[in-house]
Amino acid sequence: MSPQGDTKIPARRQLVTKPSRRADKVFFGLTSVAANFSIVLILLILGFLLFQAWPAFQSQGFSFFSGETWDSSATPQIFQIGPMLWGSVLVALLGMVIALPLAISLAYFIEFMAARKIAAVATTLVDLLAAIPSIVIGLWGFAVFGPVAQHWAALLHDYLGWIPYVFYHEGSNYGGSPFIAGLVVSVMIVPIITSVTREIFSQMDRDVINASIALGAGRAATFRKVILPTASGGIVGGALLGLGRALGETIAIFFVLNLVFHINFFQVINGEGGTVASMIVSKFGEADAPERSALMASGIVLFVLTLLISALSSYIVKKAQPWRTN
Amino acid sequence: MTATQIQTSTIKPTNPWAKRNKARTRDVAVASVLPAILAAAVYFVGTAMGATVDPAVLLILGFLPLQLVSAFVVGKKYYGRHGREDALLIVVTIFLSTFVMVLLLSVLWSVISAGAIALRPSFILQNSHYISGTTSLDYGGAGHAIIGTVLAVAIATILTVPLGFGIAVYLTETGGKARGLIRTLVQALSGLPSVVSGLFIYSILVLMGWQTTGFSGSLALLPLMLPTVSRVSEEALRLVPVDLRNGALALGSPTWQAFAKVVFPAARSGLLTAVLLGVARIVGETAPLVLTTTYNNDTNLNPFNGPMAMLPTFIFGYIRNMYDTSIQRGWGGCLVIMILVGVLFVGARVANRKKK
Repeated sequence: MSPQGDTKIPARRQLVTKPSRRADKVFFGLTSVAANFSIVLILLILGFLLFQAWPAFQSQGFSFFSGETWDSSATPQIFQIGPMLWGSVLVALLGMVIALPLAISLAYFIEFMAARKIAAVATTLVDLLAAIPSIVIGLWGFAVFGPVAQHWAALLHDYLGWIPYVFYHEGSNYGGSPFIAGLVVSVMIVPIITSVTREIFSQMDRDVINASIALGAGRAATFRKVILPTASGGIVGGALLGLGRALGETIAIFFVLNLVFHINFFQVINGEGGTVASMIVSKFGEADAPERSALMASGIVLFVLTLLISALSSYIVKKAQPWRTN
Repeated sequence: MTATQIQTSTIKPTNPWAKRNKARTRDVAVASVLPAILAAAVYFVGTAMGATVDPAVLLILGFLPLQLVSAFVVGKKYYGRHGREDALLIVVTIFLSTFVMVLLLSVLWSVISAGAIALRPSFILQNSHYISGTTSLDYGGAGHAIIGTVLAVAIATILTVPLGFGIAVYLTETGGKARGLIRTLVQALSGLPSVVSGLFIYSILVLMGWQTTGFSGSLALLPLMLPTVSRVSEEALRLVPVDLRNGALALGSPTWQAFAKVVFPAARSGLLTAVLLGVARIVGETAPLVLTTTYNNDTNLNPFNGPMAMLPTFIFGYIRNMYDTSIQRGWGGCLVIMILVGVLFVGARVANRKKK
């Protein structure tokens, strides 16, 4: 039976949910008010911060981003966040470089290796790790983990000190370095990257993996040739998400990183550093009005940076899950 | 040449259904345990002989290569060329996963063991009037800060939950036009650095000429809680089958009734989870409170007037003192926060489990 001649099948009707009754109109209105609140909130944050930060941007000019001086007692006052900006990037990158292999291993272990019960326990623990507040990690990093990590830094200096520049260090105090801050930050972002990676792993088509094993590939070959290429987009997105978190991390870094206004490019175990967020917290208490304006300006720089990274990461994660409809 | 010699290789049947090879099981077990035993032996014997054996060096330069070699040998013996690669993957995966777990357990253990020293009835019940950084732990406590945290978090929750649910309902129920945009923005909000949220509320306070109160702290927590609540509740609403909604609509109920009487009851435990996770997200948030509240040694029950202490600012202040006893107090505060987070976390798990 085929449709005869020019009988046209009508286009599929589009179902619309248009509120017709008054109660529905109120319901739809309330929800869209809530939804629009998120737009308003972001605009408000940007607007208020920009309004307060404007004097600082105006008085400091472009050297606000590139200079290396922060002096509120000088006349005129100088506020420049170059070292902090680079420090944020350095600590976040270090944290991500340390966290990424840990997170991928953990996700692989949970999804493909562990027995179901162990996997459930590990998942719960990772979720719990994500829920630990940053001040607890900060105190732990400062009081418990700090001495251990300083010892590791000393080992790095002793064994790899022949590499020029990177492992430069003077004196016997290894505290307050970007290396330690990176380790502490990595503890905080491992759960984020793990959960994104694990979700991508769990959504993978099991038939493809089984086919690879049936073709004679071992565990490693399957991981390298099948799992990793399929999941790479999701892993990159998760890593960027972690990078955004690491950039915004404040209190934990405040306790473990020395605040020095001198650009420390890559001397990871040298105790010089500082990030935008930790600087805001440490300077805010004693700041006068112009300095607070400069801190607002640093805040807006940080916010824009994290917005860009999180937009990029959610775009990549979305691209990596083409099977997800909306 | 009379006949072409064809090199043939026969594939050995592997019989995956065959019983476990006993020798293989034994070798795998030995290969997994031996390196650890050897490393431990080197450590203890070396220490007993008086040499200083660095555990970190031993672990990286002694145990790990040894473990790799033993895994290589067994892998090669039973699985051929693939076995070596697989052994590398397995050893590295387990090593790194264990490392993360050790770090996590170290955090938990140090909070529990160090916090237990400070924790006592007076720590929960008293405030810190007359207390300085060096006062003995027998006097004073974090009672005022606990009350402050509970009040501020309660206000933040009351303000955030309707908004978060509203966003989730907009995304799942109403078929609104701006869904993609709203979802992206909520995602972006979830990356909002907590210190920026504090700066934002502080800039409002300055502009309006308001004082820092408990309420300003609640406001600073709102943007941090909102994305968690809306994301988790959106997932919960999404889990409700579309057929239920369509059934209600087909019976002629308006959308709001379909939501209130069909979707909401079905998703109730998931929505509860969303609230609990949102509270767990903000209960220990420190940076925004440092900027928008003022610490107070006394109990203040009015969140709209006067400075109000909260647990995170309590901990933050005492750690900055750097005296031993004040750091002890900091650990005690951390333990209280972790107990709160743990209770919320378990509550969220239980609420989520009931449904399945």
